[in-house]
Amino acid sequence: MTNSTMTCAAFDEVLPDYLEGTLDGSLRSAVEGHLRECVRCTGLVRDLRGIEAEAAKLPDLAPSRDLWQGIETRIAAPVIPLAARPERSRRLAPTWMGIAAAALIVATAGITYTLTARSFRGSNPAVAMGPAIVTQPNAGDSSTPSEVGIGTEAPQQSSQPSPTAPRTTNVNRAATEPQSGGVAQLVRQEIPSEAVYSKEIAALQHIVNDRRTQLDSSTVAIIERNLRIIDVAIEQSKAALAKDPASRLLSDQLTRALDKKVELLRRAAMLPVNT
Amino acid sequence: MAGMGATARSNVVRAPMGDSADVALAAAGDRQAFERLYRTHANRVFTLCARMSGSRSRGEELTQDVFVRTWEKLPQFRGESAFSTWLHRLAVNVVLNARKIEGKHASRTEQSDVEDERRDEMSRAPLHIERMDLAQAISGLPEGARKVFVLHDIEGYKHEEIAEMMGITSGGSKAQLHRARLLLREALQR
Repeated sequence: MTNSTMTCAAFDEVLPDYLEGTLDGSLRSAVEGHLRECVRCTGLVRDLRGIEAEAAKLPDLAPSRDLWQGIETRIAAPVIPLAARPERSRRLAPTWMGIAAAALIVATAGITYTLTARSFRGSNPAVAMGPAIVTQPNAGDSSTPSEVGIGTEAPQQSSQPSPTAPRTTNVNRAATEPQSGGVAQLVRQEIPSEAVYSKEIAALQHIVNDRRTQLDSSTVAIIERNLRIIDVAIEQSKAALAKDPASRLLSDQLTRALDKKVELLRRAAMLPVNT
Repeated sequence: MAGMGATARSNVVRAPMGDSADVALAAAGDRQAFERLYRTHANRVFTLCARMSGSRSRGEELTQDVFVRTWEKLPQFRGESAFSTWLHRLAVNVVLNARKIEGKHASRTEQSDVEDERRDEMSRAPLHIERMDLAQAISGLPEGARKVFVLHDIEGYKHEEIAEMMGITSGGSKAQLHRARLLLREALQR
């Protein structure tokens, strides 16, 4: 096509680098020599430069609607601040959530059985009813699925509000005075934070329900399945507590299960669209 | 971009005055301040999301995702760069990650061989580029080529930055860019 030593095919090979301005001197000279003689390649360079120039001048676009309301709904979820943790642990794989929920059930059922059996065997009728106790969830147990319901940690009795749970009031330590029977037993009244949890859960559930159509159906199915598992754990914990209201462990298990439900709903509420 | 005399807008610092106060307030949980940030940057973020995704409706969804993510991440913003730069980079990551999550297949034309589609263009008239046509043609680009084109030619990122963000090589970014430009030329000539 031209009298230059460079063919159009060779020109095409080096065109990206030529456009980037990264060709060395001799090759660039050959390209420029080819361009002086070749209409086809001159037109190609002109068009590509024109496309780049026009692309850079494209104006900003505007959404067809105000997106703020949707954003605000999602960020206004009654989010309970979580303790800072590594980014990689922030997104739970559905498999892990399922495993965690299953572990929660197993642990809860085991503890329920053990403590219920113990209460039937040797409950002390002389136990005095003391002030309420509410065990607070551990600050670090809020979102790592492997920690859920393992039940190996000693329950905490800190009066400091946990960053992972709804702030509660009326948090008191149990009476620990020795009783006439020689048994110091912690007595639990109804968990005062349950109402707080219920409110949080209801609000989050509402948001998740509204977002149902924005999420992938398989994601929704997994979330619902895990919610059912957690609900079973909650119900079992409540039933066990009804039989043994003094149990700190059961109280703690219930709190953990409620925590898990809040967190799962929160994550569902914050999921990006189509996940 | 030296060779092209690039005029792509800079992805760095388009920070309106007063951003820093609202950023601090929003990071502390002030939703009104965050709404002001949204109002300031919404179009810029939406433009990026729409162009990278090739769809205005998808761009709107992604824009919401970007600002929700921004709200979550804002407490971690240390002010080492302008907020607008940080937000822009976060938006790019949200769009790229969204695509990974969706796991959709590359578009039909992804594997096409551009070289085979070239024709003798010696007799063609100079390309007349209308912006509407160009915008439409960009949205019709294959996924990878479109993202590289938007990031490089529109948003002004360097190949090295694009390569890092997209998990490809710098050479791959250059190849995708060139392919995108050729495909756009082809589309605009129809």
